Order: sequence, then C-alpha cells, then structure tokens
Amino acid sequence: MISIPVLLLLIFAAGLLAFIAHHTIPVLRDAIVIIAITIAGYIVWQLPGQTSNVNFSIGMFAINWGVTEYSQLFGLLIAVLSFFALIYSSAFMANKERLGYFYMNFMFSIGAMFGIVYSQDLISLFFFWEIMTWSSFMLTIYCCEEAQSVGLKYFIFSAIGAYSILTAIVIIYSGLGSLQLANIFANFGTMSIAAKLAVVILLITGFGVKSAMMPLHVWAPDAYKMSPAPYTAIFSGALSKMGIFGIGLVLFKLAAGQGFYPYVQEILAWIGALTALFSTFYAIFQTDAKKLLAYSSIGQLGYIITGLAIGTPLSITAALFLTIMHGIFKSMLFLSVGAVYYRTGTTNMNEVSGLIRKMPYTFFTALFGIITVAGIPPLGGFAGKWMLYESLIQSNHYFLVIVIFFASTAAFLYLYRFIFSMFLGQEEKETENVKEAPLRMIVPMLILAVSTLVFGVFPGLLLKPISGAMGYLGNFQHAWETSVLFNNWGSEIDLNTIVTSIGGVFIIAWILITVKGYRKNRYVTTKDIHTSGEVPTGNENLTYAIDFYKPFERALGSVLKPSVDKLYNYTGKLLEDSFEHLRYVYTGNGQTYAMYVMGFLLILFLFSELIFGVAL
Amino acid sequence: MIYYITAILLILIGMYAVLTKKNIIKIVIGLSIVDSGVNLLLISIGYIKNGTAPIFSVKGLTPDKMVDPVPQALVLTAIVIGLGVTAVALSLVIRLYDHHKTLNIDKIRKLKW
Amino acid sequence: MNFSPVHFIAVPLFAAFLIPIVGRFSKEAVKLIPGLVLLYLSYVAISLYPIALQKPIVEIIAGFKPPFGISLYFGPLAAFLVTMVMLIGLVIWLYSYKFIIREPLEKYYMLFMLVIAGATGIMITGDIFNMFVFLEITSIAAYSLTAFLRDKDGAEAAFKYLLIGSFSSTFYLLAVMLIYANTGTLNIADIAAKMQTVPNQPKIFIMILFLVGFGIESELFPLNGWAPDAYSQAPSPIGGVFGGIVVKASTYAMMRFAFVLFNFHSMFELILVLGVITMLIAEMSAMRQQQIKRMLAFSSIGQMGLIMIAFGVGTDASVRAALFQVFNHAVIKTLLFLAAGYLVFHSGSKKISALDGLGHNKPITSFFFALGALAIIGLPPFSGFWSKLYILTSVAKGGFLASVVLILFSGIIEAIYYLRVVGRLYFKKDVSQDNVRRTPISGLVAMGILAVVILYVGLYPHQIIDLIKPAAHDLVDKAAYIKYGLLH
Repeated sequence: MISIPVLLLLIFAAGLLAFIAHHTIPVLRDAIVIIAITIAGYIVWQLPGQTSNVNFSIGMFAINWGVTEYSQLFGLLIAVLSFFALIYSSAFMANKERLGYFYMNFMFSIGAMFGIVYSQDLISLFFFWEIMTWSSFMLTIYCCEEAQSVGLKYFIFSAIGAYSILTAIVIIYSGLGSLQLANIFANFGTMSIAAKLAVVILLITGFGVKSAMMPLHVWAPDAYKMSPAPYTAIFSGALSKMGIFGIGLVLFKLAAGQGFYPYVQEILAWIGALTALFSTFYAIFQTDAKKLLAYSSIGQLGYIITGLAIGTPLSITAALFLTIMHGIFKSMLFLSVGAVYYRTGTTNMNEVSGLIRKMPYTFFTALFGIITVAGIPPLGGFAGKWMLYESLIQSNHYFLVIVIFFASTAAFLYLYRFIFSMFLGQEEKETENVKEAPLRMIVPMLILAVSTLVFGVFPGLLLKPISGAMGYLGNFQHAWETSVLFNNWGSEIDLNTIVTSIGGVFIIAWILITVKGYRKNRYVTTKDIHTSGEVPTGNENLTYAIDFYKPFERALGSVLKPSVDKLYNYTGKLLEDSFEHLRYVYTGNGQTYAMYVMGFLLILFLFSELIFGVAL
Repeated sequence: MIYYITAILLILIGMYAVLTKKNIIKIVIGLSIVDSGVNLLLISIGYIKNGTAPIFSVKGLTPDKMVDPVPQALVLTAIVIGLGVTAVALSLVIRLYDHHKTLNIDKIRKLKW
Repeated sequence: MNFSPVHFIAVPLFAAFLIPIVGRFSKEAVKLIPGLVLLYLSYVAISLYPIALQKPIVEIIAGFKPPFGISLYFGPLAAFLVTMVMLIGLVIWLYSYKFIIREPLEKYYMLFMLVIAGATGIMITGDIFNMFVFLEITSIAAYSLTAFLRDKDGAEAAFKYLLIGSFSSTFYLLAVMLIYANTGTLNIADIAAKMQTVPNQPKIFIMILFLVGFGIESELFPLNGWAPDAYSQAPSPIGGVFGGIVVKASTYAMMRFAFVLFNFHSMFELILVLGVITMLIAEMSAMRQQQIKRMLAFSSIGQMGLIMIAFGVGTDASVRAALFQVFNHAVIKTLLFLAAGYLVFHSGSKKISALDGLGHNKPITSFFFALGALAIIGLPPFSGFWSKLYILTSVAKGGFLASVVLILFSGIIEAIYYLRVVGRLYFKKDVSQDNVRRTPISGLVAMGILAVVILYVGLYPHQIIDLIKPAAHDLVDKAAYIKYGLLH
C-alpha cells in the first residue's frame, strides 16, 4: 500500500538526498529530484484508490491524513507543475551556485504543499503550512543580496498570515476541543457567533496572504521577481493555490450556512474584484516582465476569489477551473520569461526585444500563455472566464461583472506590452548571439502550452474532477451543466466542436497574419524613429517599447502612487521607531534598575488590595 | 520590639544608600547594611527575653525558656554568604575603578539600551 | 550501584574545591574534571529517572527526618529539570573545552561547577533556607563568571547583576524569615501543609517578596535590568548557562512556591500579565540591537516572558506547555549562544554588522545559528514549533485570547530580527579576512548535539511530552508533594 506518508517521506527524503548529493556526487542531484517527483506523481495519481486515512497522534493532538476529491485536484496540480518545473530547472539552474540548498528547499516546499492538501486536521495543515512558508522564503532570498529585504517582507506577511491561521486554530481548539477537519466541519455551528466570525475572518486573512489577496499582496511582486524562474512557476502556479484551497474550505465547509455568510461572500467577492482591477493597473506600468506577470497573477487570483465568494455552483466551478488553468498558464509564462532570462540575463522588458526569431518556441509558449490569460478561445482560459461571467450575471452581481470585465479587458494592455516588448519589435544589438533555450527547458514549456489548448478544447477533462471536488465542498456536482455554454449545445462534445471551430478560425487567422506580416518586415535600426523634430542624443533609447504606457501612467499614476505598500512600510517604520524609544527603559544605570525593583515592590505593596484583594 | 524596629531601620538606611548614593563603594556599604538589618531581623524572631540555650539535658529548663536555635543557625550562614557577596562586590569595584577611573555609578553606564 | 540525589550537589561542589588544587599540577586535568563530573551526573540522573517517575525520592540528610532536617525532593519534575541541566552542562563543557583559552582556567571551571551545584541544588532541595544557600552559590558564581573576561564591560555588567541580585536574595531571605515566623518550619512540604492556617495578610506579604525575589532572577520586567548586560558580557558559553540553567532554576523555584505555598488566583494572573509585558518589551528592545549577544539576551528575556505566560494560565495543560518551552528554550538558546560565541570570535567584533557573509566563511557554525534562529521563531519541524503551539492552545483554552494575539505579535517581531541576522550571515559579501581560524571540533560537536536534539524533539515531540506529563503533574499536585515530602 503506497499512501500519503510514503509520498511525503519520498519528497522530503529526496530534498535531503539532493542536498547531500550536491556536496558529494553532483551528477545525481537532478536525477534524484526528477525521479522522486515522477514517483510522487504516480503515487498522487493512485491515491484515491486508498480509502483508509492515516491516523496517529503527537502529544495531545491527533493527526489525520487522507484524500478527498477536493485535495486530489490540488494534489495533481502540484505534482504536474512540480514535475515540469523540476525538469526545466535541471537545465535552467545548471552551473548556478548552492544548488543543494536550492533543491532541498524546492522539494521541501513541494512536500509541504502535498502535506497541506492531504491534511485532515488543522495541526498538520499548519505544520506543513509553516514548512512551506520557510522553504519558499529560503528560495526567495536565494538569488542575491537585494532579495534579502524582499524575503523579509514576504516572511513578515507570511508570519502575519500564519499566525492568523494559528489564532483561528486555537480559537477552534478552545471551542470544540478537536482539530480534526471532519469534526470541525460537523460541529462548527455549535460555537458562539463571535468565535465563528473571528475564525472565518482570521482564516480568510491567513489564506489570503498566500493567495496575494489585496491588501495583503504587497510581498508578491517582489518575491516572485526574486525567486528563480522554475520556482516562481511553482510559487505562482501552485503555492498561491494553497491559499485558494484554504479559502474554499473556509467558505463552503465553515462559513456556509452561518448567519454572516452572505456578508462574507459579498465582501470577499468585492475584494477579489478590486484585487483584479488594481493589480491590472499596476501590471500595466511594470517594466520588469516577472513583476508584470506577478501582478497579473494577483489579478487572476482575484477572479478566483470572486468566483469562490459568489458561491453558486457555477461560479465555484469557474473558480476551480481557473485555478487549474492559472496554475498551468502562469507557470508557462514564468518559465518562458525564465528562458529569456537564461539567454539574455535580464527580465527587464526595456532591455530585450525582437526575440521572436531567436527564441521561437519560447515565444510560442508566451503567446499561448497570454491568449489563455486573456480568455480567448480556443485556449483554456475561455471556458473559465465564460462561466465566471455567466455565474455573476445569474446571481445578479452586475457591478462585479463590470469591474471584472473592465479588469479583464485592461489586461490586454499589459499582455500586449509583455509579448511586444520582449518578442516583437526590433532586435537589439546586445541580443544578436542569443539562441533558443535548451531542450529541457523548451519541452516542459511546450507541453504545458499544448495542455492549455487541450483543456480549452476539451474542458470536460477538467470539469469532471472539478465536479468531484465540488461534491466534497457541498452538493454542487455537475454544476457546469447549468452553464449556457454547455447547455445550448447539449453535451460537451458538441461544445468542443464549437470551441474548436472558433479556435480554428483564430489560429488560421493568426498564422496568416503573422506569416504575411513578417514577409513584409523591413529591418530598421534602433534609432530609426520619429522624434518630432528633435534630435535625439546618442545614448537615449527612444524605441516605443520603452515607456510603453506613458500616457496611462501620466493619467493614473498619481492615483495609484499612494500604494498600500508604502503604507505598510510607513507603519513598519513607525512601529520600529516606537520600539526604539521603548528600550530606553534600560538606561544602563544599575541604580535605576534597583529603583525599578523597589518601585515595583512598593507598587505591589501599596496596591495589594487591588491586585490580590487583600490589603496590607 | 526594639530589635524589630532597629532591624527595619537598618534595612531602610541601607536601601536609602543603595538607591541614592552615587559612589559605588557607598552602594556596597549600603548592601552590607541591608544585610545586617536582615540578619538582625532574622535572629530577633527566635529571641526570647532571658531565654537560654536549648539544652534538653538541663533539668528544669522548659521549652518556653529556650531561644529558638534555628534562626541562629540561619543567621550564621547568612552572614557568611553576605561576606562572600560583599567580597565579590568590592573586587568588582576595584575592577571598575581600574577601568573607568571613577566610582560614580552614573558614569559607569556604557552598556545600555 | 546505589545512587542518591545528594550526588548532584556533593559531586560538583567537591569538584569545585578540587579543581584549584589540581590546577597547580595539570591544566588538562582541570579541563577534564568537569566533563567527568557532568558525565557521571548525567548517568546518575538518567538512572534515577525511572525511580523518580514511580515515586519521588526523598533523601534525608544527616538522619533528621522531615520536617526537621534538610531533605532533598527528587520527583519527576526535578528529574526532568536536572537531566536537562546535566545535558546542557555537558554540552557547554564540551564547547568550553576549546573555547575558553584565557587563564585562569581553573577559576572558570570551578565557578562553572558551582553554578551546576547551585542550580541543581535549587531544583532538588526540600528546604527553603537550603534553597537560599543554593541561590546564593549560584548567584555569586554567576556574578564572577560575568566578570570572567576581566574587561571593562564585564565588570560593569557583573556589578549591576550583583546589585540587583542582592535585592533578590534580601527579599528571599526576608520571605524565608516571615515564613519561619509564621509556620515555625523550613521544610517546603511542611510549610505547604501549614500554610492554610497562616492569615492572608502575611501570606500576601511573603508572596510579594517571593515574587519580586524570583522575578529578578527569572528576568521579569521591570526587574530584569541586569539581564541584557550580564548575558552579553559573560563569555558566550556562560550566556547559555544563564539562559539554560540559572534562570530556569529560579523559575522552577518561583513556580514550585506559587503552586505549593500560595494558591492565589490573582498571583497567577499577575504572573501572566507580567509575562506578557516582559515578552513584549524584551522583543521590542531586541529589534534594533547592535550586538548579537545583547540581542540574544533580549530574546531570552522575551522567551522567559512566554514561559511565564504559560505558567500564569495555571492549568495542567499550560504548565505542561511551559515546561516544554523551558526545555526547548534551554536547548535552543544555548545553541544560539554557542554559535554566536564562535561567530563573534571569527568576526572579531560583537557587532551584528560584522557578521556579514560569515555564512560562506564559516558555514557550519552559521548553519547552527540559522537552525537555532528558525527553531526559536517556532517554525516546524523544529522543537520550538510544538512548545509554542502547546502554549498557544493552552493559553487560548484558559480564555486569554488577547495574550494569544500578543504572543503571535511578538513572534513576528522575533522573526524579523532573527532573520535579519541570518540574512546577513548568508546574503552579504564576506568582509572578514579570517580564513585561518576554524571552529574547533569540540565546539562543533557541542552545537551538533543541541541541533540534533532540536530536530529530534521537533520530529518526535511526543517522546519529550511523555516525560513532561508526570513532571507537570508533580508541579501542580500540591497534596502529593506534601504527602511524599513529609514521608507519609
């Protein structure tokens, strides 16, 4: 019987072995992690067959691990993405320093994610949650000195999140006396209303930090930027989904049915929508490709949160569908940016351009990525977005529809900039010798890219497991059949035909346009530009890919500038300064300390009636 | 009663010295005075006026005439300990003077915050 | 062989007197004696442990049965704490073997042995005046060890420690006196039995004296002015001794008295509040410290505050959690001080800013420091995680949700300043030119043992919890203490 303990042991042991191997036989290092993740993938695949849960106890806490259809959905996502990311990193990370450290933390965070999804009690969930936090923290600060403060910010936010979860855990424990998920779900209603509300808010805050929910998102852009590309793929693709995983559980297993549930839903839906809206604006102004993608990621997670919060069967389906799709396409995009970085050494969009000829496969992946993000058929994003809009309209959330639709449309701006700045436009002198990324990086990217097409054409492949997961969350099976998209054409196969035909048109058009367009290309130098009568100085780069959205920035910049990020920094500094004053109580004078002692003694004597209830 | 009052006065005088005097030697002296006060207080607990040593083999001596021997034993130990502490304190004072060239406790506060 | 708890006091005391004499003939022997003593005592502690678990061992000294003579009480709690002290002592000895190179060696080891004797004495004695003697032995040795390096700051720190420490012993002695005046006995179990008859007023008076007396040694705010200086100026292994042994002994005494002598609800509440204040102020003060050992000192105080919170809740579960934290803090903080000792030694400066990039130059020592830092923050899978979790659950169950939030808040502060140091170790350019000096094997082994303990307890916490359960019961169960202590 191969079950969860074997899975966890395998991953964690592989992490340690990779660390040891790096210091003894470096050749084995990559092989160990890839073999381990392959076996782990198999184990995850066959887990649902194992019906029995694993039970043991640590001290007074009973530990319980088991598989549900909901956790299986996330487990598979983690396994698949990790597999590709690890293959990719075997090429990407070659010749880098401290690979033992890298792979150990990589494997630990994968193992921790498996631990989170398969935990059936809050103690082990929290245990793995913290392991996930510190291993991802270690990878955030892995690259360089600048990453340190970024890592610290990430850690502080994670700690705030983790401690909110912990506070919720202890409230539940003091109220119910049990931390088994099954017990909690069954008896949550028996707690007092204040405790219930506190638990729900704390848990959503805690999980919201990891899923970069505004205003708790400020760590994400920098942390995503600083972590090495293969890990960023996991970071954004899988790790942020742990927050979604948790929010799903909280909403449908705890909050649902309580008196405050509608309010929670409404607030959360708006938070999600505003997250999507604002992060889209921020994404537009980024010059760094990874930060752009990070903001895009925050925005996508906003859609997902809105979908979950609406709470109709269809919206949950949409949210879970987008969860999986986002995991795939965001990893793809981060991997392709990583490939560019691997060859050019930068992720700054102003510094590279015209890479389409040098790196066609990377371009192809990136293109598929942005098409999926934009939700254009025939790729996977389409069905998810469709269902989201439909569910919003069905549940009469018209304002939300407007906000989300606006955000979604505005997303085209940054997506276009992303693909244009890096891959289209003129070639730069500096990138003349750039080659396509190595095979081990291309293949994972392409497989993921193709999978978005597959899921776009056959969404049923995903909707089946999702409806299983929804069965666990509540009685929401086959919710997707209520969608207009799936109804009007009877069954999913017909839908596929529709989607395929729409998609086919798009593809053909695209091929025609690009092929024809590039024939007509004339080669120009970087300086071949209009300058409105002014003579540009030599060292001024005036390509229009630079300062791409300057007009928008002028219009919106002042509105967006007072960001929450600055507010946090300010608060942090204020707190630290006030701590600074506090420590002046340690004056350094022995006599003053003696006076503290006598003063304290006197206070106890004088106020003994107040403190102890007995007058002296 | 007079013993108790004296002892408490001694403790207070010692505390006063420790808390207000700036010279560290005076502070050490203050500590010693506190010590003496506590010892005096301790020994006066067991004291009985006109009492005598608790020797049970002496005929006609009843327990209410005996001085409690336990506080005496305790005080002996406490005096020895007090001596030890004072010795350590004074040796530290010498060390402090060597390094700082001053005995003012306000000037000896390099370690702070 | 027939062991007795007396060995814990007698053997190190004897060794302490032997060391200066032996020192005239052989320096190597001076170094070896404490190790042998501690090894022997660890063996004694472990072999007495199962017996103490069945029934507390009450050792009568000089044939006077309690409540008249001095007796030693070696119950599950004492067994737990003494074993911990011996383990920490052994590790610190191993570390000191190569670390303490400055003469006079024999004085260092003599004082070290006295601290061990005094601290174990406090933990196992059944007599309050005897406890006073041990308290003073520990304190005097600790003052002297603080000034061991003979430098300017050491003397200053030691003087402050002595000044405040004298207050502690004065108050304690006054309390002993009042207890004797009111109950006519010095045996703790006997006092506990007779305490009900004492009127409330003197009882409160005694309690306040005890609270302040032990509060000074247990680093409660505002009584802890001595602590940051003493920790930071003593030789690094002695920082571990303070955090792991000296402070824990007086915490034990405070808790024993709180549970056995006074059962005032308000006293526990006061301890809880003081614990919260101590923790917050210490963690906030640690935030911007310039010196690594001073930072560790403040962190130590903060952890003591955490322990006091758990004790202050006063339930069975919270006492267990507190004892667990006592153990973890002793192990982790010792590891941190030991690692910091070599980091300071290698960088040549006590400043945190001098540690830049040492992680590349001294990878193993830095690794141990990082591990200790992660453990004390309370991250899994290290031991600190479980004790913090236990504390939080028990505090919440006791109904003090505000304290839970404050504990977590200070946990975030703690994470920030520890991670800043760890970040400096690994992610700054190496500034030190020191490629010659290596951390000696004995030091690495010492830190390695502690690191293994941290990981082991982190992965198998129930093993240590099984030991803590009877210990906590021993502390909370007043009736059993009186029964066994008086040999009924």
